[in-house]
Amino acid sequence: MNKFLALLMAILFSACSSSQPIPQWKDKSYRQLETYKNDFLADKEDATEPHFRKAREAFAAGNDLDLLAKAYLTRMALQAAVLTDIDDSDFIRLDKLQPSALNRSYYDFIQGNFSALQKTEPPPPYNRLKSAIAGKDVAAAAREIAGMENNLSRLIACGVWVKYLPYNDSILQIAIATASEQGWSRALFAYLYKLQAYYQDRKELQKAQDIKERLEMLKK
Amino acid sequence: MSITREFKVGFLVVFTAILLIATLFYLAYEKGVFSTIHTYTLSSHSGDGFTEGMPVVFSGFNIGKVHALELNDQGLTLIKIKIPNKHVKWIRSDSSFVLYRPLIGAARIVVSSANLHSPLLPPGEIREVNTINDINDAIAKVQPLIEKITNIAENIERLTNQLSDPAGSLNRILANARKVTDTLARKKSLLEMAVDDEESVKAVHAALKKLKDITASVDGVLKKVDKMADKTDSSLYGKDGTLPQVNKILKDIIGKLEKLDTTVSNINKMSGDLSEGTKNFRILRSDIDDTVNAIDDVAKKLDDLLSTKKEPEIKLP
Repeated sequence: MNKFLALLMAILFSACSSSQPIPQWKDKSYRQLETYKNDFLADKEDATEPHFRKAREAFAAGNDLDLLAKAYLTRMALQAAVLTDIDDSDFIRLDKLQPSALNRSYYDFIQGNFSALQKTEPPPPYNRLKSAIAGKDVAAAAREIAGMENNLSRLIACGVWVKYLPYNDSILQIAIATASEQGWSRALFAYLYKLQAYYQDRKELQKAQDIKERLEMLKK
Repeated sequence: MSITREFKVGFLVVFTAILLIATLFYLAYEKGVFSTIHTYTLSSHSGDGFTEGMPVVFSGFNIGKVHALELNDQGLTLIKIKIPNKHVKWIRSDSSFVLYRPLIGAARIVVSSANLHSPLLPPGEIREVNTINDINDAIAKVQPLIEKITNIAENIERLTNQLSDPAGSLNRILANARKVTDTLARKKSLLEMAVDDEESVKAVHAALKKLKDITASVDGVLKKVDKMADKTDSSLYGKDGTLPQVNKILKDIIGKLEKLDTTVSNINKMSGDLSEGTKNFRILRSDIDDTVNAIDDVAKKLDDLLSTKKEPEIKLP
């Protein structure tokens, strides 16, 4: 009976399979980019960024500059999310070749060009931060960021805010909670260091010491 | 002459009665009530499938029916069929009798006569009935197919068992691939991967660093020698002149060059090991590529088989 069930399942699965297969480059680029995002945040992607390179090669094979630009923007967003320097050279070249308003507004947001974003709408889901950015309202920003459903978007929003605007520990705590929940160690350590520095700057030495010890234990 | 009413009524009654009886007789005659019925006896090894009243068919027409079923002393089933006189002509001495059990529909005895000019079958002769069973034939035809399906199902089961088995081949391949990629990710350099000995790599690094230091020292000495050329003889050859210092430095250089020689020898030796290791590394690399490609193929096939996914949408995070 089990054998027949297994056979039936196999037949059903094969019957359900799509008659029009997805192009390999699309499938590959999507998978590689997803792996890259997770590995980058989890600190598994080494300096050569192999998954990003494979994703980039797959996009190139599809001759789609818009998707290629999105891949570079994704990398930039991740760099912003973990508070490191942002390498925008490739995106700039692509944007000159094939400009896109959506990609440009995303770029402006990641790069902290908020004056440019006052004329246009920030890309979703970051458009809800527009008024908070205009007023540099940290409390409103924390509220809006905490309400973002997508974990990565939440972390990117934290990263952009911390990089370019005055922040407080609540925004850092949101980032730490998000990174901890997802196991994104690179992001977690970046924000823990940032929180330690924040407390030190504010002369809250006990809190800074606690964070330092926590970091030591986590990195042991 | 007048016909009385009573006579008319009597005539009508009698006429109607005669007409009715004639009709009944006619119908009975047509139905073969008055025809002679011939009884033939057939035999079969099994009474399975025979029933009383079962039709006897010739060329698709009913020509009789099974009258009785009996079991003789030899254990054979005797089937007595009754054939009206008008249909006896179809029952010949070379006629064959077949019990036909269709997949759908009622069973019947089919009479086939190859030669209608052959003599009639004598009523006392017992003929054997063959059986055609569509159900059994269908089962017999389906049986090999079922066996094949069973084999396929067994293979699928085995495959799924292997896939789910933590100690199965695929999982072992994946574990090995993971181990290799972990090693690739953990090792700090290709050299370490090839030599597979962290201490050796450190030694190479240390040797190279030392070589760099020595090069810097030699460079410094050369600069000093350049400066010496500008100095006077006294300052050059005096007791505290430059030349004794040069001698000292040269001795230092010789000492360092000796160390350099040893270091270079070490590097040469390690390079030899490394070139041997590189060959192995290339073979290992090709093995890994083969394995990864094989796994990739399996994954793609499984993915194609199981996938109902739509085209992935690449969105900005």
